[in-house]
Amino acid sequence: MKSFFWENLRIALTELWSHKTRSILTGTGIVIGIIAVSLMSTLINGVDGLFEDSMKFLGRGNLYVEKWPWFGDDDWWTLRNRPQIELDMADEIKERSEYALAVAADRMRTANLSYKELSAENIYIHGVTTNYPEVSTVDVEFGRFFTESEDRTGSQVVLLGSEVAKTLFPQGNPVDKMIFAGSKRFRVIGVLAEMGSFMGAFSNDTQVIIPLATFNKIFHGPWGRRSIIVKVPEHLIEDAKEELRGVLRVLRGLKPGEEDNFAINQQNAFRQSYQGIKLAIGGTGMIITALSLLVGGIGIANIMFVSVKERTREIGVRKALGATRSQIQGQFLIEAMLITASGGLVGLIISTLISMAISKFIFPASMSFGVAFMAIALSAGVGLFAGLAPARKGAKLDPIDALRYE
Amino acid sequence: MSLIQVKDLYKIYQMGNSEVRALDGVSLSIEQNEYVSIMGPSGSGKSTLMNLLGCLDTPTSGEFFMDGIDVATMDDDALAHIRNKKIGFVFQTFNLLPKSTSLRNVELPLIYNGEIKAADRREMAIGALTRVNLADRVSHKPNELSGGQRQRVAVARALVNNPAIILADEPTGNLDSKTGEEIMALFDELHKQGNTIILVTHEEHIAAHASRVVRLLDGKIAVDEPTQRGEK
Repeated sequence: MKSFFWENLRIALTELWSHKTRSILTGTGIVIGIIAVSLMSTLINGVDGLFEDSMKFLGRGNLYVEKWPWFGDDDWWTLRNRPQIELDMADEIKERSEYALAVAADRMRTANLSYKELSAENIYIHGVTTNYPEVSTVDVEFGRFFTESEDRTGSQVVLLGSEVAKTLFPQGNPVDKMIFAGSKRFRVIGVLAEMGSFMGAFSNDTQVIIPLATFNKIFHGPWGRRSIIVKVPEHLIEDAKEELRGVLRVLRGLKPGEEDNFAINQQNAFRQSYQGIKLAIGGTGMIITALSLLVGGIGIANIMFVSVKERTREIGVRKALGATRSQIQGQFLIEAMLITASGGLVGLIISTLISMAISKFIFPASMSFGVAFMAIALSAGVGLFAGLAPARKGAKLDPIDALRYE
Repeated sequence: MSLIQVKDLYKIYQMGNSEVRALDGVSLSIEQNEYVSIMGPSGSGKSTLMNLLGCLDTPTSGEFFMDGIDVATMDDDALAHIRNKKIGFVFQTFNLLPKSTSLRNVELPLIYNGEIKAADRREMAIGALTRVNLADRVSHKPNELSGGQRQRVAVARALVNNPAIILADEPTGNLDSKTGEEIMALFDELHKQGNTIILVTHEEHIAAHASRVVRLLDGKIAVDEPTQRGEK
């Protein structure tokens, strides 16, 4: 049977070559379909990668105790009226929790920074505990983190995010320089390594970090986000969350039946929300692109029916000379699959170029081997599907009628 | 056993309510190296008999042995194998593949044979084209050949598989009389070389090339006798 594959491939090539325009036009439908499908999956993969990268800074094993849940449709007023998170609960949590590996506190607000005539506006100032590096992905690139005693004494020292450092100190080392945050003078003790952005939108490098005690001393008032960050073993995060909830209810003095007046957030919330969006957009996109392939397939089926009709006599001759049904069927199937597979290949090449352009100018999206394989398999599959009915029709022709066909 | 052994062959078509007996009890045997022509007016069952002898069709009832093989009840694919190995067709309209060269056209039965290597196929096809004096037209396409040359390519194609019988259906019908005679001379030559030939025709002078003539009328054999040439 193997020899027939090559024989049929040869027939198909001759046939397609002799109808160049027709073959190209028919194949174009598949080219477009494959471009759509492979670009769509490449984009989804790209967004996935971007999401995973962005999630790293949240830490997989972290629980964030906050007033507001990150996602959810709870009543805004109820949430609004919750008490602020008391950051000094951090020590209690560390003491009472079995799972907690580290517990850090984080307050945040925005401020304007300046150094000499240069300024950086609306910069996120985080006031954090000394153990903050244990629960986050911040890395000190130059200089050092602040010490326990600097935190205790409320020293006015600051670590700059890489973007902030670039803005205020376009050249030269910022370490040991004095900058202003509002009206307060701070000494720069370190610069953080670049962290990138969250989903390509919010930069994590436009923040600065100061000791929590310093923050509390300088910025009064209830505003700004407060979080207690609890690092727990990643695989036990659900158990740890339950335990933490119990600990917090005790610390808050909540009676049984009373609702929680705090939120425990985790990366998972982002993940679930993201998965939902991805499924909706990706699913819709896939259906639309699959439709374009279907249209291409119908075009192929149509042309193959025409081809079988035109070549009725040829089929008759081949059958008279001893071609079996499966040989005739194979001939037309291979012809259909050759059109779609070449269309798929061309589509793949074009979409690889497009995705290279996208990753260069917009965001990292690269054509994976899986997507390439899927595109080729899919296009061959469309050929098989579209060619089946015409090929069967040709194979079933009665040789006597076919030989007589004018 | 004879090369072709046919007994009480019926082919009945149902046309609405009436039944058409295209073949109405035909018995016939053809020996190795016979040269038989089948004649008859249109509607006599001549084409039907030819289709059956060519294993393009199966009878409604009756016995049909081809080279000792019972082909009366075979399915499509089995018949295709028999056609491929036992029968060489020559048609009135040549029926060459227009986009293929003479060589490819002649190779076709060998390709569907499935057991012959590409190099051997080529050699056998060139051999067959040489036998019909077309060794110099191997890479020509049908539209580059004259009618007589086309029919000779078709004869080469019929020969190439060393079939048990060569079945020619009005082989000179589309040729002028001079070219027709050339083709008939080729058949005579092939017969001398030991081939069995069945010729379907309505022209007496073509039929006269054979050594035996079978005349059909209304689906029955009316006459089955040697020709003048056969009696010599």
